[in-house]
Amino acid sequence: MKFSYNWIREFVEDLDCAPGALEKLVTMKTAECEGIEVAGALLDRACAARVESVEPIPNSHNVKAVVDAGRYGRKTVVCGAPNCRAGLITAYAPIGKKVVNGVESDGMLASGAELGLNRDHAGILELDAQVGAPIGGCVPDSIIEIDNKSITHRPDLWGHLGMAREVAAILGHALKDPVRPDLLPQGAGGIRIQIEDLDLCPRYSALVFENVTVQPSPLWLQYRLTAIGVNPINNIVDMTNHVMAELAQPMHAFDADLLKGGTIFIRPAKAGERFRALNEEEYTLDPSNLVIADAAGAIALGGVIGGLDSAIGDKTTRVVLESANFLGSSIRRTSSAIKLRTDASMRFEKAQDPANTVRGLARAVELLQELSPGIRVAGGVADQKKDIPAPPPIELPLDWLERKLGRAVEPAEVRRILGQLAFGVSEPKRGVFSVTVPSWRATKDISIKDDLVEEVGRMVGYDSITPQAPLVPTAVPPENAERRFQHQARQIFADQGFTEVYNYSFLSEDTARIFGFDPAAHVRVTNPIASDQALLRTSLQPGIWKNITENQKHRDTFRVFEIGLEIHKPEVDLTAEGILDLPDEIVHLVAALYDRDSDGVTGLFEIKRAAECLLPGARVCPAEARSFEHPARAADVQWRGETVGRLFELHPSLVEAGRAAVLDLDLQAVERLAAVETKYTPIRRYPSSAFDLSVIAGLREQVGKLESAIASFAGPLLESIQFVREYSGPPFEAGRKSVTFRLTVGSAERTLSSEEVGTIRGGIIDGMRELGYELRV
Amino acid sequence: MLDGRIQELESSLLARITSARSAEELEAVRVEALGRKEGALTLIGKEMGKLAPEDRKRVGALLNGAKQKIEAALESKGRQMADAGLRVRLDAEWIDLTLPAPGPRRGHLHPMTHIQRELEELFVSMGFTVLDGPEVETEYRNFDALNIPATHPARDAQDTFWLEGGNLLRTHTSPVQVRGMEKLGPPLRMIAPGRVFRNESVDASHEHTFYQIEGMMVDRNISVAHLLYFMRIMLTAIFHRDVNVRLRPGYFPFVEPGFELDLQCLLCGGSGCPVCKQSGWVEQMGCGLVHPNVLRMSGIDPEEWSGFAFGLGITRLAMMRYGIDDIRLLQGGDLRFLEQF
Ligand SMILES: [Zn+2]
Repeated sequence: MKFSYNWIREFVEDLDCAPGALEKLVTMKTAECEGIEVAGALLDRACAARVESVEPIPNSHNVKAVVDAGRYGRKTVVCGAPNCRAGLITAYAPIGKKVVNGVESDGMLASGAELGLNRDHAGILELDAQVGAPIGGCVPDSIIEIDNKSITHRPDLWGHLGMAREVAAILGHALKDPVRPDLLPQGAGGIRIQIEDLDLCPRYSALVFENVTVQPSPLWLQYRLTAIGVNPINNIVDMTNHVMAELAQPMHAFDADLLKGGTIFIRPAKAGERFRALNEEEYTLDPSNLVIADAAGAIALGGVIGGLDSAIGDKTTRVVLESANFLGSSIRRTSSAIKLRTDASMRFEKAQDPANTVRGLARAVELLQELSPGIRVAGGVADQKKDIPAPPPIELPLDWLERKLGRAVEPAEVRRILGQLAFGVSEPKRGVFSVTVPSWRATKDISIKDDLVEEVGRMVGYDSITPQAPLVPTAVPPENAERRFQHQARQIFADQGFTEVYNYSFLSEDTARIFGFDPAAHVRVTNPIASDQALLRTSLQPGIWKNITENQKHRDTFRVFEIGLEIHKPEVDLTAEGILDLPDEIVHLVAALYDRDSDGVTGLFEIKRAAECLLPGARVCPAEARSFEHPARAADVQWRGETVGRLFELHPSLVEAGRAAVLDLDLQAVERLAAVETKYTPIRRYPSSAFDLSVIAGLREQVGKLESAIASFAGPLLESIQFVREYSGPPFEAGRKSVTFRLTVGSAERTLSSEEVGTIRGGIIDGMRELGYELRV
Repeated sequence: MLDGRIQELESSLLARITSARSAEELEAVRVEALGRKEGALTLIGKEMGKLAPEDRKRVGALLNGAKQKIEAALESKGRQMADAGLRVRLDAEWIDLTLPAPGPRRGHLHPMTHIQRELEELFVSMGFTVLDGPEVETEYRNFDALNIPATHPARDAQDTFWLEGGNLLRTHTSPVQVRGMEKLGPPLRMIAPGRVFRNESVDASHEHTFYQIEGMMVDRNISVAHLLYFMRIMLTAIFHRDVNVRLRPGYFPFVEPGFELDLQCLLCGGSGCPVCKQSGWVEQMGCGLVHPNVLRMSGIDPEEWSGFAFGLGITRLAMMRYGIDDIRLLQGGDLRFLEQF
């Protein structure tokens, strides 16, 4: 939203604060300013000038003109405008000398666009003025741009008067209201109004004007609108835009002679109703859209845009001027449904003040008397409205205000601030103010005492508050064990050479299929940014796979990991019963080790070792491979009796060159199992005994299983069992291998005798033989 | 007569010890000189009995002196030889210590992890608990419970990813405020770092997935002055230097009053530079006193309790801290980037 400094100055008495300083004050106390631009920079130097003679310049479409430029004297300028002719009164601007087409040109003759007055650059200005006079009374202006996001809660700040009220309050100056309600005609309304739903349209006011002349606006109005980014069109439309920019009240003018019947209806659109808008688009409406209609059909889309068929044109002589109020949420819905945001809809969305409609009409009457001489009002104000009770006053205890702000404010200062912002203040009880809210702040913005804390706080200045430590008891915060464990896991994997990645939570259907996941089993985004980001990930593995594919362009070997959330549809879908469960989100850790020149074996064992750093004593149990896993290299990871993850090599068809070992752990389960209290066991005082055993087994027999079997036969005196080596080749027959373990046995009470050790050993040998294994003793 | 033999033997044996080249040679000299049966000095000792008593003492002293000198020379030479041997052996064990150590190098934590951990530790040390919330949220917790009803224009500012069934990907970490209040009740101090989503197209400075940290304190008589205090401590800790902050009005429906918090530009110190657009201040975060409606919706009586809340974009913080100029790098998985942290 752009604000003209000169416009604001009209409403703030003795405004003596320069635009730059004002911008800073407004930013600190009201809304964020995004910068200042100068409009009409040339206007303080330009003046009206008479073209005295014009002669062509050979080989150029430019002409050489001699002008009488008032106080600048007689000047020769080169001009390219087609309307440059002797006798014309136009604008001269002294911008320095330069040689054009071999002619020295001293200054320029300017178009409206060049001076910033309007967007017209078809020719130089044609003025009706004394030579040497300033241009249309226009002077340079500073345009302050305010961030729209910072005024979404302030319907009043969408007009200059609202901003001027802030400026007046900030500086402690008086505010002048441009509206003269006495100009409103009395008597019966000039047109009938029928509102179907007063919630959607709390107020609709209108005036009918006769003897209207549609013509270009005077330069001051064109300039004023151009400077704040609005296109001048004609006097009637420009007047409505002027009132909107001034009072935040959008208006619309209909050509009264193009309306059918004598009543304006405000009603929901009929299903499929068609409407041709001013922007020359045709919309098909439905009952969620509010239309303004005559007897024949929609003439405007309420609060959004007017209709083409009833638009003001050159021949218009009678005008119906609408000044209405609409329900913000309804306007917002319609405007986003048809993807059309207008200056009007942006304002109505913010919940405008219904009391403002007739104020807008009063201002219009005044402006139109100047803009369309001879204009007459036909009848009185037509006005239908909902009864809106005045909001109850807000009780504001001053000690409470002080506790909220963290500083004291003198009661007189509180009263001054609120008063300048147009709140009514009384003090029925000592120390407690009773505050009434002005209608333009009551629509949505201010309803409770906390809202008043902001009004007082921003005006006294938040920089006047001294930071202060709260006096509260010390407390040990409840621990987040899950998060602490995740950080531990992160650190362990980083220490083992893995680099952490953050991947997106999205997954494409194609990738899901590559991994054999059913797309239908995923939570789906209804408005994805791209079709390949439509699913939420149920596994971190596809993301890690992408990391592998992309990094192998630059690296021959690397390790990556991610800790993130798997998002699974709730197991039982109760949506049909109206219960919307959240998905199950499970923290997983996925790590991968890629090696270009490898058979994959080292990588798998290296990642298994890393897993054991996090899960000491974890066991790996070969399991049937899924489609994206190497069919002979996939296993479950078990820890403390539960399956907590998966260790596998990515199917070589998914890896262009080289091998990738992957570990996927359910960190939620791991964290739960990790919570074991450590208790000390005394160090044994008696020496242990150790011996080796070698078992002959088939080549694909699992060492882990042999180990468990041996351990089960060793009995309670077994301290530890360790794999030493495995060997195949002579003297063993093909398909056989020898696996050697070292066993340590001992007792807490005594040193075992050699007979006792021999008995344990014998028991193992017998047991293993019974299972069909041969032992090398 | 014996005197002369002893002196002669002594000097010739010492000379041979000095010139001995090996342990064997040295042993031969020892046997020849001091051997228990045939050693030259041993034999002289046996002849001592024949000497006149007046000579015996003198010659005995001479002989012992010679023996001691030779023994000392043998020992010293022997030690020399052993030392030299050890030197040779150890020298042969030379290795090139500039060779790289085998095994993987330490990996790297993600820059966002560094920042999040730092903030978590900071706030835990000030008595805040760290809470997690789900990435998928209900419309209620993400909007309604934060005083943003469906008709509220603030919803426009947060382009939302909607999910089939009506849930959504959280657009801010603020719903964890609601969860925190529901879970902990007052008084409470909590932060919630986490991943949030906005339906925005991605370019060098925009991401649909980024990180925020939410913070909240609810206690008795919490004021703007308390909020300012914590914000300054937090930003001082984040930037490892004293910072100046200022509050100005900002609109967030779940706080009242609401603020934009600006940090005095760390680059120019407030005098104005391109980074702060010549204003001397950089917009850092949103914060405010918790709106009474928000407290009430979470079952906390706003007449008894009050609080402050803040939300800080930590993706942007990480980019500032490390000078990252393209936001896409953070979720791009490129090791050439990640290995720098
Ligand atoms: Zn700066």
